[in-house]
Formats: sequence, C-alpha cells, structure tokens
Amino acid sequence: MASDEVILETVDLDKSFGAVHAVRSVSWKVYSGRVNALVGDNGAGKSTLIKLISGALQPNAGGFRVRGQETRIGGPAGAFGLGIAAVYQDLALVENRDVVMNMFLGSELTRGPGQIFLDHKGMLRQAHKVLDDIHARIPNVREMVRNLSGGQRQAVAVGRALIRGGEIIIMDEPTAALGVEQTQEVLQLIGTLRAQGKTIILISHNIQQVFEIADYISVMFHGDLLGTRSRDEATETEVVAMIMGKRSP
Amino acid sequence: MLGRFTQGELAIAGRRREQLLFLMDNGIYVVTVLLFVAFIFLAPYFFTPRNLVNILISASLAGIVTAGYTVAILAGQIDTSTQGVLAVATVTTALLFEEAGFSLPLTVIFALLAGIAAGLFNGLIVVNGKIVAFVATLATQGVMLAIALFLSGGQTITIAREGLQEAVFIRVFGIPSSVWIMFLCYIVGYIMLTQTKLGAHIYATGADYRASLLSGVPVDRVIRIALVISALTAALTAILVTARAKQSAMFGLAIAGSVDFVTALTAVLLGGFSLFGGVGRIERNLVAVLFLTILGNGLQLMDVPTGIILIVRGFALVLAVILSVLRARMT
Repeated sequence: MASDEVILETVDLDKSFGAVHAVRSVSWKVYSGRVNALVGDNGAGKSTLIKLISGALQPNAGGFRVRGQETRIGGPAGAFGLGIAAVYQDLALVENRDVVMNMFLGSELTRGPGQIFLDHKGMLRQAHKVLDDIHARIPNVREMVRNLSGGQRQAVAVGRALIRGGEIIIMDEPTAALGVEQTQEVLQLIGTLRAQGKTIILISHNIQQVFEIADYISVMFHGDLLGTRSRDEATETEVVAMIMGKRSP
Repeated sequence: MLGRFTQGELAIAGRRREQLLFLMDNGIYVVTVLLFVAFIFLAPYFFTPRNLVNILISASLAGIVTAGYTVAILAGQIDTSTQGVLAVATVTTALLFEEAGFSLPLTVIFALLAGIAAGLFNGLIVVNGKIVAFVATLATQGVMLAIALFLSGGQTITIAREGLQEAVFIRVFGIPSSVWIMFLCYIVGYIMLTQTKLGAHIYATGADYRASLLSGVPVDRVIRIALVISALTAALTAILVTARAKQSAMFGLAIAGSVDFVTALTAVLLGGFSLFGGVGRIERNLVAVLFLTILGNGLQLMDVPTGIILIVRGFALVLAVILSVLRARMT
C-alpha cells in the first residue's frame, strides 16, 4: 500500500498539560481514502492527539501538513475549513431536537433578508440525500434524536460531519456503547464512507474490530507514536505487544 | 445502554412515549375548553360580552410577559427577575410621563430601554459571571426593586395627565389594543422560534448547552438575547399595567393580580414546557394563560373567596411542576 497518498500529516506535534507530557513529538501520517486506526491503552495520548487535529486543543510545538500544505489548525472552525470533522464519543447530539435540526446544528441553511430565516425545505432535502448516501436506516428525519438507536445516532453525527464538508472524519470510539447488531451497523457505515473516498481516523479499544475494518493501524504508548502498520503486514500479537509498550523491531 | 434493546423494541417504546407526550402536551386545549363550558353554566355573568373582554384584557397582560418568559425558559434560563423589571419599567413610565412631561412615544421608548438594560444586566451576571439564571436573576431582581424604590421615593405615582390610558387602550374592532399587542407578541414569537436561525439556536442551547457549544452555536449570545427578550416583554407589560391603573405599581402584583413570575411559570409549565429548557411550543402558552385567567375569573364570579382562589392557583402550579418533571423523566 505504499502507493497510498498522505492527506494529513502531523509534524513533531507536542502537547503537555503541566507536568504531563501527553503527546511527545508525534509525526503521524494519515492516508487518504483509508481507515486509519489509532490504538493504545488509556492515557496513551490518543484523545489528545485527536483533539489537536480537530482544533479542540492547540499544540505546544510542531505543526500540520494537510494535502501537502503546511498549516495551522486554529480551532474547530479552522478544522472544518480544512475538511476535518470530529464525531465526538458522546456524539454531541441534542436529544430533544429532530434529526434534521441536529444535522444542521450550528450550520443551518438560511434564506430571506439578512439570512435570518431557516431554509427548512433545503435542509430536509440535503439531510435525506446525505443519509441515503451513507445508507443510514432512519425512517423519519423528523424523529427526535431521543428515539433513535445507537447506530442511528452515529449515522446522524456522521451526517453532520459530512454536511460540514468533512473529508477527514474522526470517529472516537464509535462502537464503545453499542450492542452487536448496532456495532455491525456502524462498521458498515465506516465501510460506506471509505467506499466514497472519505478518510477516516478511528480510535478504538477493540483490537479485533480494528483488524476487521482498518487499513492502517497506528499505536501510541505514553505519548509516543510507536509505529504504523498496514493491516496486511501486522499481526494481532504484534499490535497488542506494542500497546503494552514493546517497541517492535 | 440503548444497545440492550432491538431496534423494533425501541421503536415501539418510542411510539408509546410519543403518544403519551402528545396527550400531555395537548391536554391543555381540552381542559381549557371544558373549563370554559363549565363556567358558562356555573358562573353568573361569565358568558357576557363584557366579561369575555375582561378576560381577554387580564389574559393580555399575563400573556405578554409570559411570551418573553417562554423564550428565556426555552433557552434554559429560568428568569425570576420579572417583578423587578416590571417595577423599574412602571416607575420609569410614570415618572417620565407624569413628572418629566415626556411625550407618550418617548416615554414608551425609555421604558422599553429600561427593560433592555435590565435584560443585559441579567445576561452579564448569567453569562460573564457563569451563575445559574434562577439564582442570578433572583439577585438582580433585588437590585431592580431597590432602584424602583429609590426612583419613586417609595411612593405610588398617580398619573393625572391625560393621554396614557386612552392611547394605550384604544379599542380596535371593539377589542382593547393590549389584546392585539399580545397576539402580535405570540405571532412574532412563533415565527422567531420556528422559522429563524435564532429560534433554532434558542431551542438547541436550552436542550443541550454543551452539544450546542461543540456544534458552533453562539450559546452565550443566545442566552443574552433570550434574557433581553424576557425583560423587554416584562417592560412592555409594565407600560400597559401602568396605563390601565393610571398609577405606578411598585410591585406588579399589587394592581394586576395576574401579572407575576409565578403565573408566568405556571402557564409555561402547563403549556408543556420543560423547566430545564429546550422543549415546548409558544402557542400552547397562550392557551395556558387563557386557562389560568378563565379559572380566576370564573371562580371570582362564583363568589369564591379570594383565599380559596389563590389556593387553587397554587395547586395549579404544583400540578404543572409535577407534569413538567414527569415529562423530563420521559425524554
């Protein structure tokens, strides 16, 4: 898979919280149109690295190269501008609002004088299209999010990321709280996104699942990036050893 | 947790819950009609044109203040400063019109500006001070009442000058302007809440502050605007109350029995709003206000002692709170 193109690269990225050195000079390559899994034990620095990429945190040192261009990611809005969208672990959905309003929350389509009026029809149309594209099984987009299953919620959150122009979609433990049936649904969703050429960054604890779905597997340990393997060349034993901190040759 | 249920089970449970919620939400329409019909038979003079207009006038004063109050509740802000804003605005109205000799339009503008200032003050404490609105506005209300007391010298200001009551209560098609103003408030409120981006942001902020923040909703600005709208409608009500009574009301409660924080809260909760924000429809509040007004008016016409009427209204609030909590548990 040496022919895969790098879409996003962190360059000597460094982040400390007081005495805690959460991310140590990490240079990580994310491959375009692939599922890039990031694994590691609790406290390995995965979440911090992801937050740096989604603009939720600012690094102490180092930078980013996106599509070959050196760049800064100033904040969540800056990340959106670069096509990077995070789907948070708790999804950040509003339970008492319907699917459409959740998908467009914070980026509503508007019309009329001063763009103060909502374009309900336009949002409805686009929501249908995006959900169809990712084969989401949501019978009624006017349904309140509180009545959706875990898999459906994930689809809504991913739909929101796509509506914001997300090309690189960060998914933080998307199946952590789900049962078997819905986990399969989410894995299918990830497959669909990849088939459409989206780049996925997947954080997961579930090694089996990672081997099932990921193209690349990167391991972090105590703030260091120990290495990246393509799925075909990696073995579960090796990856588990790396998660425990054993640097492989 | 959701993972334990199949999608079919979830769908059925969801549908049952939605049906029950629909009943709780729309029950107020049925109850109001039943009450109205009951009083036609039970309360003498209830179903006379004159009394019906009276009901509308009372409802209009409570209704306007409730409209703005609703917006604050939707944004997740329980605004308890209503009486403070009423007091400042009523004193402002009376002082400027009676003692400073301001023209009617200027008086109205300054009284509304006083309301906006009060709302901004609330926003400052809630947003910048990061203090829960319920507590913050309880404190600011104290400041506002003191300002009103200072400005008026603790005296009720009687308005002898002609023109205020006459202008404010002009009848259009036989119905006083305050009623029309109330309907206008609800129409504007309805359009704002259902058709504009601001409305969507108000609902979202009230329903889930953190999720809205992460999604890029300007939550702090939304809360400020909601508190200003709440104070603005309270000031508007104060102008009408002052004009109707031809004197300043130190406490809104004193002369317009139905205009106060508790009525607004009862109406909002009976109307199916959540005490915790983000849920509810403004048009139901209009019905809830009518319900409370009809209840008070009918009991009065049946010669029920005032104490009993207050107890009944107290129970209405208790019932409304129970309904609201039940609702919150279900959603």
